[in-house]
Amino acid sequence: MNDIIIGIDLGTTNSEVAIVENGKVTVIADNGHKILPSFVGLDDNGEILVGASARNQYLIYPERTVKSIKRLMGQDTRVTMAGQAYTPQEISAIILKRLKAIAEAYVGRSIAKAVITVPAYFSDAQRQATREAGEIAGLEVVRMINEPTAAALVYGAGQLDAKRMLVYDLGGGTFDVSVVNVQSGVVEVLASHGDNHLGGDDFDQLIVERILAHIRQQFGIEVEPHGKAMARIVRAAEQAKLVLSDEPYATIEEEYLLERQGTPLHLTLELARSEYEDLIADHINATLDATHIALKGAKLIASDIDEIILVGGSTRTPCIRERLFEEFGFEPHGEVDPDLCVAMGAAMQAAMINGEDIGTVLVDVTPYTFGTCAVGYLDGMPYPYQYIPIVHKNSVLPVRKSEAFETFTDNQREVNVRIFQGEDPDALNNVEIGEFLVEGLLDVPAGNIITLTLDLDLNGILHVSAREKASGKEKAITINNAISRFDSGELSSAKQRIDGLFGDSAEQAGRTADSSAVAAARQVIKKAEALFETVSAEDKEDMVDLIETISTCLESDDEAGLKEPVERLNDIIYYLES
Amino acid sequence: MISPYDILGVPEQASDADIKQAYLQRVKDNPPDRDPARFRQIQEAFEAIKDQDSRLRHALFAMPHIEFDALLAQAFGQQGASEPMAADDFLKLLSTLSIEKSLAQLTKTPS
Repeated sequence: MNDIIIGIDLGTTNSEVAIVENGKVTVIADNGHKILPSFVGLDDNGEILVGASARNQYLIYPERTVKSIKRLMGQDTRVTMAGQAYTPQEISAIILKRLKAIAEAYVGRSIAKAVITVPAYFSDAQRQATREAGEIAGLEVVRMINEPTAAALVYGAGQLDAKRMLVYDLGGGTFDVSVVNVQSGVVEVLASHGDNHLGGDDFDQLIVERILAHIRQQFGIEVEPHGKAMARIVRAAEQAKLVLSDEPYATIEEEYLLERQGTPLHLTLELARSEYEDLIADHINATLDATHIALKGAKLIASDIDEIILVGGSTRTPCIRERLFEEFGFEPHGEVDPDLCVAMGAAMQAAMINGEDIGTVLVDVTPYTFGTCAVGYLDGMPYPYQYIPIVHKNSVLPVRKSEAFETFTDNQREVNVRIFQGEDPDALNNVEIGEFLVEGLLDVPAGNIITLTLDLDLNGILHVSAREKASGKEKAITINNAISRFDSGELSSAKQRIDGLFGDSAEQAGRTADSSAVAAARQVIKKAEALFETVSAEDKEDMVDLIETISTCLESDDEAGLKEPVERLNDIIYYLES
Repeated sequence: MISPYDILGVPEQASDADIKQAYLQRVKDNPPDRDPARFRQIQEAFEAIKDQDSRLRHALFAMPHIEFDALLAQAFGQQGASEPMAADDFLKLLSTLSIEKSLAQLTKTPS
C-alpha cells in the first residue's frame, strides 16, 4: 500500500487537513472541529498550544501567542513568543505538526507526506519558506498547489459540461483570482492574478485604526503601547467584522479597556456596515481590478464566465457578493464551505499523485513573469538593465524556456546573471529573486554566446542554468537555494527545536509513557542544545548530526538504534563540559 | 522529431475544438504530476497548433525536418547517379513536401 499523503490548507487565519479515503474526501475533525485556528502559543508551563486554545489565550497573553504567521512567510524576520525568537517557518511548522498529528490520530498510522496549498500569488521565497516549514514539521511536501486551483478542483470534479469559472479567493492574508476552464475531466487554469498581502486581516486593521482614532478623540490616549488592550481591540475589530456580515450595525464594547489616573476607561463604539464598507472600499476595488487582469490574461470577458466560486472566509463580506453580482450579472456559488474546499482540493491532488484516479486532472499556470536583465534600451535610450522576460505569466506549468545572450566586451571572462520577477521594462523596478556568477568563460572577443534556461516546476519554484555555448560549461542554481535563509544544518536544528517543544508537552501531559532509554535520549538532546551557544562550529555540526540520528530513531520508535548515537553525543557533552 | 499533429493525434485539417478535445484527452491520460516531461511535450504541441494563428506560425517557421539525404537516396538510389528517377516521379516526390516549409527552411538558416 502507498504511503498516505494528506492535503493541508495552511491558512493565515485557519488551517485544515483532509484526506481521500475510498474515493471520498474528508476534512478531518479534531474534537469535532474541522477548522484549526492558525494560532500558536505557549501556556503557563511552557507547553505548546496550537489552535483554539492558543487563540483563547491571545487576549490575555499576546506576548506568548503568535497569529497570522503566514503573512511573514518568505521574509527574513523573527517573531517573539515568550521571549524566544522564532522564524516564520518554525511557527508554521508547529501548526503543520499539529495537523499531521490530527490526521495520524484519525488514520491510526504515521504520516510523512503532504500536499500543501499556497496562494497562487505566493512568490518563490514564500513557496520555499512553506516547503521548509513542512520539512521542519517532519513532512515531505510532495507538491505545493495553488489555493484557488485546489478549490476549482473540488468544484470541477464530476462536471460533465464544459464550464468557465472564476475563483475569487479572499482569505485572511492573501487574495487570489483564477480563471479556470473545466472540460472533459481537466481543470485547466487559464490565468491567475492576486495580491499576496491583502485579506481579512487588513479589514480588521482598518477597523482597529477606526477604534484607535475614536479612543484618541474621546480619551486622548494612545493605545499602541498597551499590549493587552491592543489585543482586545484587535479581537473586537474582528468580531465586529463578522457581525457586519449579517447585521447592519455592530456595537464594539470593551469595558475596563485601560486606566487613566486610576479611572477605568470603557470603549463603546457603534460601527455601521456602510461605514465599514467605505473603509474597505479601496481593498475591494483592488480585488476587482485584479479580477479584470486575470480575465484579460485568459483572453476572456466577464460574460464568458459561467460560474463564480467564492473561497476564503473573507468572501462572507456582503459587499463582495454585491460587487461581483454587478460585474458578472449572477450570484456566486458557495455550496462547498469556503473555509474547507481548499483543503479538500489538496487532498484530491494528493490522492491523484498517489496514483488514485480521481477523475480529474489539474493544469495550472504561473501568475508571474520571470526574466533577466541585459544591456539594451529603455525608452529608446541605451540602458544597462533592460528587462528580458523569459517565462511569461500564465504559462502552463511545468515550463522551460531558453534565451541566448552574448558577452558585451572582448575577453569577458565572467557574466553576472540576475533573475527578476515582474513585468516592468526596467529590470530594477522588478523584484530581484536571485543572481549568480558564471566564471571562467573562454578568452574570446565579445559575442560569446551564453544560453540562459529558466525552468519553473509544478510547485512554482524556479530553477535556472546558464551555459557557454562554445565550451559547454554550465552553471545551475535553484532560486530557492540562492536566497533561502536556511541551509540544511539550520533546518535540522530548527526541526530539533520544534520537536523538542512537542516532546516536552507530550511528556508533561503523560500521553506517552516513555521508556527510560527514550527519556534519556530526550534529555541528552536538551543538554546538547543548551551547549550550542558556546561550542565551536565543528562540534556543533557533529552534535546536530547526532541529534538528527537520535530523533529519527525516536520518530520511528527504534529504541535499539538509540544506544550508539546517544552514547556518542554524551561523550561529546562530557568532553565539552570537562 | 514528431509533429505536434502526431503528438495530439489529429489531422492537419482539424478544427480548434477538435484539437482542444484531443489535447484534453491526452492531458487526462498524462497528468503533469505523473510525467512532467511527457506533459510538457503535449502542452508544447497544443500551443503550437491551438488556433489558426499558431498553426500558420507553425507552418511557416517550424523546422520542416525533411530528411534531404533520404530524399536524395530515393531520387538517385534505384539505378545510381547515372540514371536518376523520372522527372514526373521526382516532382511527385517533391509535392509531398510543404513548399512553405521548405522555403522557410531556406530563408531562415539556423546559426
